[in-house]
Amino acid sequence: MRQWIAFAFVFLLAAGCGTSDRRSETSTPAPFRVALLLTGPISDDGWNASAYEGLQVIRDQMGAEVSYVESLEKSQFEENFRQYASQGYRLILGHGYEFGDAAMRVAEAFPKTTFVVIAGNKSAVNVASVNFRLEEATYELGVLSAMMSRTGVAGLVGGEEIPSLAPGFDAFVIGAHSVKPGFRVITKYVGNWSDVTLAKEHASALIAQGADIIFQNADKAGLGVFQAVEEHPGTYAFGSNKDQNGLAPAVILGSAVIDVPKALLHVARQVNAGTFVHVVQGLGIRDGIVFVKYNDLLVSHIALETRKKLIEVQRDIRQGKLQVLAGAAPAEER
Amino acid sequence: MSETLAGLLDAAVRISVPLLLAVLGEIVVERAGVLNIGIEGMVLAGAFGGFAGAFLSGSPEFGLLLGASSGLTLGALLAWLVVRARVDAIVAGVALNILALGITGVFFRRIANAAGERLIAPTFTAVQVPWLSKLPLVGPAFFDQNLYAYMGYALVPATAFFLFRTLPGLRLRACGENPDAAAAAGVPVQRVRIVAVLFGALMAGIAGSYLSIAYSNTFVENMSAGRGFVALAIVVFARWKPGLGVVGALLFGAAMAFQVRFQGARILGVEAPYQFYQMLPYVLTLLVLGLSSRGATGVPAALGRPFRGRG
Repeated sequence: MRQWIAFAFVFLLAAGCGTSDRRSETSTPAPFRVALLLTGPISDDGWNASAYEGLQVIRDQMGAEVSYVESLEKSQFEENFRQYASQGYRLILGHGYEFGDAAMRVAEAFPKTTFVVIAGNKSAVNVASVNFRLEEATYELGVLSAMMSRTGVAGLVGGEEIPSLAPGFDAFVIGAHSVKPGFRVITKYVGNWSDVTLAKEHASALIAQGADIIFQNADKAGLGVFQAVEEHPGTYAFGSNKDQNGLAPAVILGSAVIDVPKALLHVARQVNAGTFVHVVQGLGIRDGIVFVKYNDLLVSHIALETRKKLIEVQRDIRQGKLQVLAGAAPAEER
Repeated sequence: MSETLAGLLDAAVRISVPLLLAVLGEIVVERAGVLNIGIEGMVLAGAFGGFAGAFLSGSPEFGLLLGASSGLTLGALLAWLVVRARVDAIVAGVALNILALGITGVFFRRIANAAGERLIAPTFTAVQVPWLSKLPLVGPAFFDQNLYAYMGYALVPATAFFLFRTLPGLRLRACGENPDAAAAAGVPVQRVRIVAVLFGALMAGIAGSYLSIAYSNTFVENMSAGRGFVALAIVVFARWKPGLGVVGALLFGAAMAFQVRFQGARILGVEAPYQFYQMLPYVLTLLVLGLSSRGATGVPAALGRPFRGRG
């Protein structure tokens, strides 16, 4: 009897979680159906929130029928891909490198569905990956840090060391060294994407080690980085993935932005029109998908000659004169 | 060097305060014979309650109150499930953790918008203890902290005194060692266990509120990040003794502070992968646990055993 109560309780909870997360919004009779799978909550004001925003843009601008599932564990990827594909969804977006393997395993059984892994490295007949070259923006942040830092030290705080994070961090170091070869960049990883207090502890440690500019790419945990920087006058931070300047307007000099909504809409339009190519493709500064958004309130803190240099860097990257990861060595110092 | 050490010690105390509070509560719960796996969810609920209370009212004190009550609410649910309905403690605890993760997320999105934003709550600030905070090294680390730390310091002897030097404490321990004998002696076992669970939940809620309104100043979904589970491990390490609970919490805090500072450092010219540093606190806890569990561990004999008698 007792066990039954327990089972019923757990079952109800599980059922509750399953249904509350899955929402469908219908708009047209013969719809183009797009699904989005996420590893985190849509309320993270970063990586996942931007994809959710993109899904809404696809719904509004294309009249598509959209659905999403958030906060998925790795073990649930395949099942969710399968479920949407068997319901006839034309495009299923796995928002993160982690989705690559599951997409490859499922894709063969559903040839009419296009599987797109964001920030991935897999491709097949109906599987493609879209990468954002965030490194084209972080290189610029590295240049800025080296020219602006008074201590000669900058810090990087990441969530976990996943492959889509590394190029951004590497380019930051390369960018910094391009203007100041001896500039020190210290990298730290929180170990997850939600522990705000531990991220704050990491940022405080970086500041204690001399860093006066910190770039965070740790999703929601990054809020702790901003708080630590706010508590230490004279230090600055950079935001990532979204325009985060408004989150701590007194200390965030700028954000390395990925215009995820624009990119997702771009993909959806191509899939709908049948022109989408199933390869691993990168979108960057030239496509208007990646850029640095400076904080208008703090631009005056950046010296004029530094600003000139940044414009030069942007132009060189856009024209293809500057390969930001050329001679990339892994981040020199962690 | 001494500055590094001071920073390390300061961080160690900061990190261990919520652990200590949760550990003290859990020691009382387990001494009464109940296992609270749901402690992680209670910490998370406390973090959300603390944030919501402080953010909406503008006063961190109200946040502390709401955080404690949030933990307490989940505690009441767990007490009913485990003590009254005699549901398996592990099943009920895990269910409670999932429930807390979902509910705090839903409520947080009611306060923030769906896309989430950075909402800053008023926080508790550090209060210097006159004289003591002037001590070299340990002064600033231990006696220039906020209210929560002092609460933790005070509750260590208080909990120990209650458990081992008072009659109600003896009765509570009897419920965890031999509930049948306790019941025969006239102790209302179920009622004692319920009160113990409520106390543990209250402490977990307070520990959680520390995260959102004393340590950081905002709420993030799943921000408890496993601290409740670490507290469970520390209770075993501490052999269900408050005094050793402090040692366990501080040890974990020190290891965490160490890994945060030394992540990426070169030792003898070799740079260890960052994962190596991240696992240090956990490996250390496991190691100490393994080494210390020889001989009498002090585990309450009836821990996790439901009591079927009346009372």
